[in-house]
Amino acid sequence: MSQIADRLIDDPGLAAGVASLTPERIEEVVTRVLKGEAGAKLKAYQETCMRCGLCAQACHYYVSHDSDPSYSPVSKTTETIYELINKKGRVEPSRIYEMAQIAYTECNLCKRCAHYCPIGIDTGYAMSMMRRICYQLDVVPQYIRDTSHSHAATMNQMWVKDDEWIDSLQWQEDEARDEFPNLRIPLDKEGAEIYYSVIGPEPKFRTQLIYQAAAIMHVAGVDFTMPSTPGWDNSDMSMFVGDFENMGRLKRSHFESAQKLRVKKIVMGECGHAFRSIYDMGNRWLGYADMPVPVVHAVEFFWELLTEGRIKIPKKLEGPVTIQDPCNIIRGRGLMDKLREVTSMLCEETVEMVPNREHNYCCCAGGGVINCGPPFKNVRMTGNKAKADQLAATGVHTIVCPCHNCHGGLDDIIGYYELGMHPRFLGDIIYEIMEKPEGM
Amino acid sequence: MIEIYTFVSGPLAWIAWSVFVFGSIYRLVSMYNLAKAKDGSSLAYMSLPYSLRSIFHWLVPFGTLGWKSDPLMTIATFAFHICFFLVAIFLGAHVVFWDTAFGISWWSLSDTTGDIISFVVIGACVVFAVRRLALPHVRNVTRAKDWFALLLVAMPFVTGVLAYHQIGPSLLMTILHILSGELLIALIPFTRLSHALFAVFTRSYMGSEFGGVRRVRDW
Amino acid sequence: MQKTHIRQTLAFIAVVAALLVVYLAPAALSQDDMTMVPADAFGVLQRPQVAFEHDAHNEKAMLDDCVVCHHGRTDDGLMDMEYSSEGETCESCHPVNPENGETPLMRAYHRQCITCHTDEAMGPVTCGECHRK
Repeated sequence: MSQIADRLIDDPGLAAGVASLTPERIEEVVTRVLKGEAGAKLKAYQETCMRCGLCAQACHYYVSHDSDPSYSPVSKTTETIYELINKKGRVEPSRIYEMAQIAYTECNLCKRCAHYCPIGIDTGYAMSMMRRICYQLDVVPQYIRDTSHSHAATMNQMWVKDDEWIDSLQWQEDEARDEFPNLRIPLDKEGAEIYYSVIGPEPKFRTQLIYQAAAIMHVAGVDFTMPSTPGWDNSDMSMFVGDFENMGRLKRSHFESAQKLRVKKIVMGECGHAFRSIYDMGNRWLGYADMPVPVVHAVEFFWELLTEGRIKIPKKLEGPVTIQDPCNIIRGRGLMDKLREVTSMLCEETVEMVPNREHNYCCCAGGGVINCGPPFKNVRMTGNKAKADQLAATGVHTIVCPCHNCHGGLDDIIGYYELGMHPRFLGDIIYEIMEKPEGM
Repeated sequence: MIEIYTFVSGPLAWIAWSVFVFGSIYRLVSMYNLAKAKDGSSLAYMSLPYSLRSIFHWLVPFGTLGWKSDPLMTIATFAFHICFFLVAIFLGAHVVFWDTAFGISWWSLSDTTGDIISFVVIGACVVFAVRRLALPHVRNVTRAKDWFALLLVAMPFVTGVLAYHQIGPSLLMTILHILSGELLIALIPFTRLSHALFAVFTRSYMGSEFGGVRRVRDW
Repeated sequence: MQKTHIRQTLAFIAVVAALLVVYLAPAALSQDDMTMVPADAFGVLQRPQVAFEHDAHNEKAMLDDCVVCHHGRTDDGLMDMEYSSEGETCESCHPVNPENGETPLMRAYHRQCITCHTDEAMGPVTCGECHRK
């Protein structure tokens, strides 16, 4: 068995944050969060968790580290937030470093352990509260903190300037018009049926996804628009940092930019955590029980287009594929059936991973872990051997992967374990195989 | 010695039950008030159908991923809880006690059955204890509180079995049995055993979230 | 049934006879032969039958007045400590499964013994002290 103290990773964000801490400051912040923000949920969890250990086998970190007990969900909560509750925040600054590393990099908030806990303890929530404390202590891994700062400054996660955003859209529109002469990416079109939203990395380095989405919507004859102003980025690393104030700002600007355009609904690209931030966390912070503007995930959107015949697939993708079930849209929002129906409409054969659907293992990139950057890449690699084994067992080459985080996470795992596989977005596959009428 | 027996089986029992009842009410009410004050964004999603759906599935042995993952623990947990309540409520000696004291009576187990399932409870406690000692992922998170809770529930059964089989002085064993039972009852609201009060709500909440918001199974 | 009736009649006669000589010959009330609490009415027993040596118990407990245990019954069906019922079986008033609100036999036994023992702080009070294996 290892201990968190034995596997500390040098991170400037964590180190600088801890260096400025005093025990008094820790106690003050912990007390403030526990008394001011946490409530009955956390109290009941900490008190009634029977330490039975059933959750251990739920966690890909635990499974991947040969059942190292220090990676079990209950161990991670016991070593972090529960310890702070028991000690009323009286811990040394160095301990906060350990707690922050556990909370930010050794838990993906995937909630798979919910299927294992008889009492119904929400470990993901407990770890979120731990992150909340770390954020208020300013002990946050540098990369994800920077991303959250970008959100705060620009309302998108990649420091994309307002003009660069518009440039990127027009660039993709221009490119696409070679293939589809009449294609437009309408900006700020009031009253459009659909507001299409993406995450910051799409204009930054996955620009072809915008091209593909525009092509699909063009061919399907969708009345859509994209906003030219901040609010276009639906992603939300502030949510994972524990900066809930900023999470609220982001979601408000996102929903309001859609409301200003009086669109019927928002369709979001293939991202998981952004979905979580509008159906689960951001909406609640803003006091919305549900979403003020209906948000449809790409999986649902493609399902509609395909079942309504607005997109035609003359020939399915050859060769077997497997399906990565992204936690935030499957365990988070029950899209497993639609994902499978879409996949079967696009691909000849599906070989399921085991376990799958809402029992699937996380990609280990989620919950902001991949956003903690290069210092913690190996945490994700060694922490998800379970996923590598799961992938390898399918024996297929292509992974249908409707989530940005999963995409990045699986790419890394595939490289690290030399699996020779390739994750693909649904939009990418649809774009490749759909019927593209001449001169459209 | 009889004076002690009279005291533990009389006034002290009233005290223990009062602490349990009023302590439980206090804990539940204050927890609910705290939830209303701080967890509004969770309370808003509470749903009776989804709560019941979740509770029902978790009441089925091996019906959930958790119950499938550790069969011995699952069997021990179900056996423990079922037999615990059977013994507490339907053990012949307990029924006779209520009958003598208050003139109320209900169906009871035969002494042999009661004896067997008391041993089942003790066996389950042994499983819990062995897990805490032998399984690294359980040992790693086991603290004094967890041992204390286990001791609290095991003691009434150990002393009860000793008293029934008349091992040791009967009066002393019975006094110890009643005392340990009273300690258990009184401390349920204030120890790990408070899951007896709260688990139904944490389970219901998880069921409501997974059913209503997340639209998937929570088992 | 008939046999029981005859036995009761005989017992009644015996009691009446005994009453005649009660002040002259206290020994006439001796129940040396009684060593167990009667339990036939219960059928199959869950626990060992309770030992009870009538005379030894009363001597030790310094009980001279029969009515302390052999209480009677008022017209309202309540316990009557004025009228003594010795000679009648407990079961005659306390059926095992009462239908008219009588105190059932087991409860009557338990209360009879335990209440006195706890009041006096003497004698057995717990299950195992009476139902010895």
